[in-house]
Amino acid sequence: MPRSTWLLLAVSLICPALGAQTVQNATLRRAQQAFDNLDYRQALTLGQASLRERLTGFERARAYELVGFTYSGMDSILKAVDAFKQVVLIEPERELDPNRTSPKALSAFQVALTQILVIRQLRVDSVEFIGGQGAVGIRYTVTQPSRVVTRVTGGTLGSVRIDSTVANGQVNIRWPARMPNGDPVPAGNYNVVVDATIGQNSFSASQPIRITQGAVDTLAHLTSLPGYTYLPETEIPPKSWRPLGLAFVYTGVALAGTSALSNGKLGSASMKEGGAIGGGIVLAGFIMTLKKPAPQAARGNILYNSLLREQISRRNVEIAQENTRRRQQVALAVVPLPRTGGGR
Amino acid sequence: MNGRRLGGLAVGAWGVLLTAQPLNRLAAQHVSIGPQIAFGDYREVSSDLHYTGGGIGAQATVEWKKFSADVVLTKVKYKPVTGAAATTEFDASEVDVRLRYYIAGPVSGEVGFINRKADPEFEAQSVGAVTAGARMAYLLGPGVRMALHGGMMFGAKYSGGGTTAGFGALQLGLGLTVDALKGRMRLTGDYGFQRFSRETDDGSGALPAPIQQSLGRIGLAIAF
Repeated sequence: MPRSTWLLLAVSLICPALGAQTVQNATLRRAQQAFDNLDYRQALTLGQASLRERLTGFERARAYELVGFTYSGMDSILKAVDAFKQVVLIEPERELDPNRTSPKALSAFQVALTQILVIRQLRVDSVEFIGGQGAVGIRYTVTQPSRVVTRVTGGTLGSVRIDSTVANGQVNIRWPARMPNGDPVPAGNYNVVVDATIGQNSFSASQPIRITQGAVDTLAHLTSLPGYTYLPETEIPPKSWRPLGLAFVYTGVALAGTSALSNGKLGSASMKEGGAIGGGIVLAGFIMTLKKPAPQAARGNILYNSLLREQISRRNVEIAQENTRRRQQVALAVVPLPRTGGGR
Repeated sequence: MNGRRLGGLAVGAWGVLLTAQPLNRLAAQHVSIGPQIAFGDYREVSSDLHYTGGGIGAQATVEWKKFSADVVLTKVKYKPVTGAAATTEFDASEVDVRLRYYIAGPVSGEVGFINRKADPEFEAQSVGAVTAGARMAYLLGPGVRMALHGGMMFGAKYSGGGTTAGFGALQLGLGLTVDALKGRMRLTGDYGFQRFSRETDDGSGALPAPIQQSLGRIGLAIAF
């Protein structure tokens, strides 16, 4: 693929970004036009001329980028690196798509990144957790080995250092969002500030965040255990002749007892009274034999239900204790806010 | 007569006990009370003094935890049976009080007393005694219970004098209760047999003068 095609591709990458903010400066637009026409000398002359004019930060970054691409196209790699350094210093988050950028320009851009100290891609995770039981993930990339200090500023917190390390490349830290005394950080807007220092050089990037506090969800009490249901505490025994049999036995015992206990001197005992009541009992026994038996207590089921109730009760006590604890806790929600500017 | 005095005092005491309960406690216990029709057979000394008759009665039952108590009042007009030597009818008024304690299974132990008064006084023996025995109950079906009870009667006193040997006075009973109207009403049927092996001594030696009664009662009771 011809070099110019690569360059065109690289420039086309810029276009979506330009969509958000457009270039107003006429000189820069002419430089861009010259670059598009592969007139590198004209593009370089106009690009450098535009840098001497009053430009917005965005326009200045675009001008340096155009100069960098032009130098890359002219094989002036060192000058391209210098131009890209300026781009990164103005827009530390600037990235080139490796699939659409010429290898020379990409290489010059990467070299530029290693020659300056910047904090890039500072990200704070959007997260929600119970105070003291979680942490906020913070990530950034530092382009040169340096002492990096991460702080949280703002609100009633003042400035609290949460990490200090010598790092190069990507760094991941976790912040528990707690005050020095252990309490959760109060609700409010804060800034996560990352300061990198190496010798006389330093760079600082920040990410605003909002912390809100809320009540921790409590657990509902249980009325049943999943998979376990109460069993009927009574059961109907199978039909039997037992009621009639026992009615006969009771009546027989009463009548036989009457006969046996009767005093012989008084003549044969009267069975009329006992017979009448006994007859009624036998009749009742017969009817009860034909009827559906009365439900009887199912001891196994009663014991099972008792154990189940005990389990549910015990679990509810635990839930009540857990809820008491949760009502004393705070749910922290951390949300990153849009950044207003780059690092410095 | 000592037995009569004892009976009257005891009935009074039971009455106070049953009615002096606060209403909220009554709600926690089972009480039933109702009228009965009584019919009986009474014999004394020999088969010649044989009476049968009918009358009315009332029964009250209280159940509380493992305790239960029955108070039964009956009044039977006994008439001599055809062919018997006796010629005069008499009224037998009886009070039967039993206090029961559930022991285990179908078995309960019970103590109490009976007092039967004859009127006219000299037509039959008035008698009073302390009772002790056991009761077996069985649930025939939903709301239908039967019970068999038996025991001894101690310290029997007779209006005409006489004594009873230690185990000479016995009683036996059979009972049935059927709940109706969701337990608000009870049909009751009871049978009671008493035998006193009474002996008298007019100076010529002990003479047997046994007393025996079979009494059946059928009635209704309101339960609450």
